[in-house]
Amino acid sequence: MHVKIRDIEFSSPLLTASGTYGYGHEVKDMVDVNQWGGIITKSVTRNPREGNPPPRIAETSSGMLNSIGLANLGVEKYCKEIIPFLNELQTKVIINIAGSAMEDYLETLDILEATDGKHVGYEINISCPNVKKGGMEFGVSCDMTEQLTKDMRKRTDRLLIMKLGPNVTSIEDIAQAAEAGGADAVSAINTVVGMTIDIKTCKPTLYTNYGGLSGPAIKPIAIANVHKVYKAVKIPVIGIGGIATVQDVVEFLLAGASLVQIGTMNYQNPDLGVQLREKLSEYYSQNGIEKTEDLIGKVEYHSN
Amino acid sequence: MIYRELGKVIYNEEIAEGIYKTVFESPEISSSSLPGQFVNILPCPDWQQVMRRPMSIASQGNDEICIIYKAVGEGTRIMANWPIGEKVDLIGPLGNYWEGLESCFPIIIGGGVGIAPILNLHHLLLEKQIDHSLIMGARYKGEHFLKHEPQNKIFLSTDDGSLGIEGNVVDALISIYPNSNHPHNTKIFSCGPPMMMEGVRNYSLENQLECDFALETIMACGIGICQGCTVERKVTESNSHSYRNRFALACMDGPIFSGREIISCM
Repeated sequence: MHVKIRDIEFSSPLLTASGTYGYGHEVKDMVDVNQWGGIITKSVTRNPREGNPPPRIAETSSGMLNSIGLANLGVEKYCKEIIPFLNELQTKVIINIAGSAMEDYLETLDILEATDGKHVGYEINISCPNVKKGGMEFGVSCDMTEQLTKDMRKRTDRLLIMKLGPNVTSIEDIAQAAEAGGADAVSAINTVVGMTIDIKTCKPTLYTNYGGLSGPAIKPIAIANVHKVYKAVKIPVIGIGGIATVQDVVEFLLAGASLVQIGTMNYQNPDLGVQLREKLSEYYSQNGIEKTEDLIGKVEYHSN
Repeated sequence: MIYRELGKVIYNEEIAEGIYKTVFESPEISSSSLPGQFVNILPCPDWQQVMRRPMSIASQGNDEICIIYKAVGEGTRIMANWPIGEKVDLIGPLGNYWEGLESCFPIIIGGGVGIAPILNLHHLLLEKQIDHSLIMGARYKGEHFLKHEPQNKIFLSTDDGSLGIEGNVVDALISIYPNSNHPHNTKIFSCGPPMMMEGVRNYSLENQLECDFALETIMACGIGICQGCTVERKVTESNSHSYRNRFALACMDGPIFSGREIISCM
């Protein structure tokens, strides 16, 4: 089941999606975290962020709307308090970085690079819909995406993955800009902009009015975007969006994903990644699949 | 230690109008939980919603835990229909617990969805032989399952006066302790609908009473990951070192907060 991205081998194609598994230690009493192919940690920023006022989440049909606003302890505390735990993990760790200006991203990266961490890579959040300057200005601009990727590429030899969102005119163009900038992979999709309104008060459910929709509700949107990106770039694509079952994982692989991330459904079942690993292995043996590569991008179009 | 355990339903009955009591056989959670803590429940294995349902524990011990809840939405309606023997996916015990009980006279106040942690506290105080008053509010008689026993300092109130003291729980406080004549070192502990708790909080602050509230918020993970269950606190210098000072998490920093530290119960 293993998958290689550049020179890094993941024991399975199943990773945690940033922000849905904390730093891995929150679930350590219940789950053997090392059974995951990899852990992608919650976004870290240059300075601590308190996030948005409540309410920050709302439940929707087969999904969830959130506007957390990248609440996190900031990179300096992250290095002191989180990295030592991450260094103990046997699974591959990828650190997600967010920012609101070019310098934020670069300084955060520099501080992480100067720390003695065993992490294998970085996922760069340029598509968070929940902060006014939350990287969205990067994620919607090809030029800024390419520039940021280039500048980060110069600073690290670790895996560099740019995380793309669906709230853009052409996700293919942004993916190509990340590729041109030297990214090792792109991940897609971040949450979809959404809104719910309380009809009793006539107010939006979330304090920030708009939020990011995640969960099984967005899976078809994610599959379409992953497939578009897969066709547009040569670097690997990491698929994200509403995975709940082994069938969902296979669907993402067929659409062109080399790895997948599991997000919102972790809240319901913190052990989902471990269970899906077993089920995926069964699926492979039942269907005569020798390696994950045999599935990647193997969707067959209707002939017309 | 947080456990994920399949709790076996051994009792599930409606104990008052729309109010249900479920007892689970759940040894790990039972032996490690303290009054005030909660469990995060998956109502059924093929639950289409992405969020579990957080429920305060009403009692623990003898390998069992008990929850008491109002059937209001899809999740709680599924719960109300659990058959005996059903195995339910539980995560717990979660959150903080009732503290600071020894050096005060506790007045404990519950209502509606906030019955469970208050009953748990009541039993803890009885066990510790700490003299206290219990006030339980409801809209009308049918929603009560306790007896109005003023001689035992158990007071019930109903909005329509059909049982116990007429009015809400603050009216009951005023009627039991006229002219703010509370026992020495009174401390309020409360859980219930947000409006009720905010009334109790205002009363407590006006009367310079210490007060703790078990807050209910919308919640997804219950273990500090999603950062969704936020409670706004007043920011003071003493706690200004953490990114969670202002927006604390009900699951990790709560669910019990001091009435003085939060902006509001609503």
